[in-house]
Amino acid sequence: MNVKKLIRKAEHFLQTEDQKRKEKKRYLKKVIRKLRKHEKKLQKEYDTCTSFEQSRQLKQEIALAYNQRKKGVKMLKSLKKKKKQNA
Amino acid sequence: MLHRLLLPTLIAVLMYGFWISPDFKEIAAGVAIFLFGMLSLEEGFKAFTGGLLEKLLKKTTNKLWKSLSFGVVSTTLMQSSSLVSVITISFLSAGLISLTAGVGIIFGANLGTTTGAWLVAGLGLKVKISAYAMPMLVLGILLIFQKSKELKGVGYVLAGLGFLFLGIHYMKEGFEAFKDTIDLTAYAVEGYAGVFLFTLIGLFATVVMQSSHATLVLIITALSAQQITYENALALAIGANIGTTITAILGSLSANIEGRRLAVAHLIFNAVTGFVAILFIYQLTGLVDTVSALAGIAADNYTLKLAVFHTIFNTIGVLLMLPVIPAMVRFLKRTFKAEPGRRSAPRYLNDAASELPEATLAAVRQETLHLFDNAAAIIAGGLSLKLSDIKSDEPLEEIIFKARSVIPVDIDQQYQESVKSLYADIVDFSSSYQGEMSADQVEELFRLRAAGRDIVEAIKDTKHLQKNLSRYFVADNPYIQHEYNTLRMRLASVLRQLYQVREQERCDSTLILALDRLRLDMEEYDHNLNHSLSGLIRQKLISGPMSVSLMNDSGYASDVTRNLVQMGEVLFSKSDLTVKSVEQSLLLDQDEISELARSQNPDTPIRQERSDQI
Repeated sequence: MNVKKLIRKAEHFLQTEDQKRKEKKRYLKKVIRKLRKHEKKLQKEYDTCTSFEQSRQLKQEIALAYNQRKKGVKMLKSLKKKKKQNA
Repeated sequence: MLHRLLLPTLIAVLMYGFWISPDFKEIAAGVAIFLFGMLSLEEGFKAFTGGLLEKLLKKTTNKLWKSLSFGVVSTTLMQSSSLVSVITISFLSAGLISLTAGVGIIFGANLGTTTGAWLVAGLGLKVKISAYAMPMLVLGILLIFQKSKELKGVGYVLAGLGFLFLGIHYMKEGFEAFKDTIDLTAYAVEGYAGVFLFTLIGLFATVVMQSSHATLVLIITALSAQQITYENALALAIGANIGTTITAILGSLSANIEGRRLAVAHLIFNAVTGFVAILFIYQLTGLVDTVSALAGIAADNYTLKLAVFHTIFNTIGVLLMLPVIPAMVRFLKRTFKAEPGRRSAPRYLNDAASELPEATLAAVRQETLHLFDNAAAIIAGGLSLKLSDIKSDEPLEEIIFKARSVIPVDIDQQYQESVKSLYADIVDFSSSYQGEMSADQVEELFRLRAAGRDIVEAIKDTKHLQKNLSRYFVADNPYIQHEYNTLRMRLASVLRQLYQVREQERCDSTLILALDRLRLDMEEYDHNLNHSLSGLIRQKLISGPMSVSLMNDSGYASDVTRNLVQMGEVLFSKSDLTVKSVEQSLLLDQDEISELARSQNPDTPIRQERSDQI
């Protein structure tokens, strides 16, 4: 176990508001990253898709993933802002 | 009757004992302090079960050897097979783990409990244990008064250990003093008669104290003070091992059928192990001597030899029973069958499942899934379709084409029969939970309850939809027939995709977030409907009342979709609570979905408000 992980575990043990926010930020980043990957994968599928119905669905999914990601980024920014205000 | 008499008799015997012997009083107080320590230790470990235990159980119960190891390690760490049994029954009742995994954990717990004998015999009697007890008690109580749940937990564990040590100290002192007044070895019984008699005494003592650990400590301290013979101590340990199943049996009384099966498995394991140990007690004693000699344990160190015996006979039990676990699980499932109850009878809501917050959440989630299954059958019926067809791989177009007759479904009656009381039970169970929950867990409980409400709302909207749908999808007018069949197909597609996501094994947030597409799709359809309706009316292909009905019903279909998708986004997510909370915050709300639908089709007008149904 590296030092970073050890510190994170110790922080988790004495969980504070700040720690909770940090944890939320970490998971939010993870999900945003997943969404970005998912969006790219869908875009590739869309580029090669020939079926009308499937392209329509893929287009919807891409738009959705993009909007959800955008929402996530906005939340991330507001979390950072809150941290600055508290500091 | 027997139960009513037991407590007064026990109190009378104890009072008499206290009156005639101050040493007996000291031993009994030692046992009481020890048991109090066990309770405190269990309370402390419960503070750390939040999330961690659930994660561990999920990861460690897919293979039998992992379940077994989990049982060994958790019992060794917590020094309480009772707590492990209760947690296992609780999780099994909530449907979090399988019966095979539960049996594995219980067998492992039997092995783990042998470490207690080693600790007491090897450490507890060698050092002045009470010297460690005092600072532990002081620090423990200090931490118990802290606000933080984790610090409180550490406090309970420390105080628990302190009380355990203090209890052992008093038992040791009591037996030492007892030696000067009475020699209990005078009551030793030789041969098999002694083995049976002392096995029964060990069993009885454990049933009364509900802790084999306490009995074992009592045996070890008595043995070290030479108040019982080595042979009789071995028999007492066998009895304690059988008696410890009482905790699981009592715990299973409030559990569902799975919990009861587990308690019987525990009893079978310990009874078979005990029987084998009694049968081959003399051979086992020889084996203990050999192993002890190899391990460098002195021939007259009977307390450590007792620990060796305890470990050997439990290991033999595990080795004997491990190959027959699958057969045992089959036997238990065959013998203890679940009573065929009403469709609305809850399957997972029971007192055992409310022992821990994780188990409570799991039970509520499983039961809400059960509610969804009942509701999905009603919704499918409302669309004049069969749920089995929707769940099949057959193309939906074909299913809709084949199902061209109305299935008469009384949604009200079915709602009363298979949903209403189940939903009430879920609300009742989740509201009556008394234990402590973290903020994340409380949030999840609210989400689960909202998912239940979404399911009920979806049924109600289907009921509104059913009236016109049953009339128009078989109408002579091919245009209105086509429009209503499109609605049926869209809703069937929503149900099918929800079931597909539910059956996914992998834990992926994008899978849950992508469910929003169903709402977006329905919203787009609803927007486009205005366009197509204008055309149909202009060309006089459908009548005005038909178009109003269709507009209303499209709105109901949107509501059904929204409710079902919201429910699916909560119930089908396999992520842990923090990630789930992130998923929920990223899902688009109704305004965002409408905005997105408009941006996808900028030419379409904004959806009109639903008018009164015709």
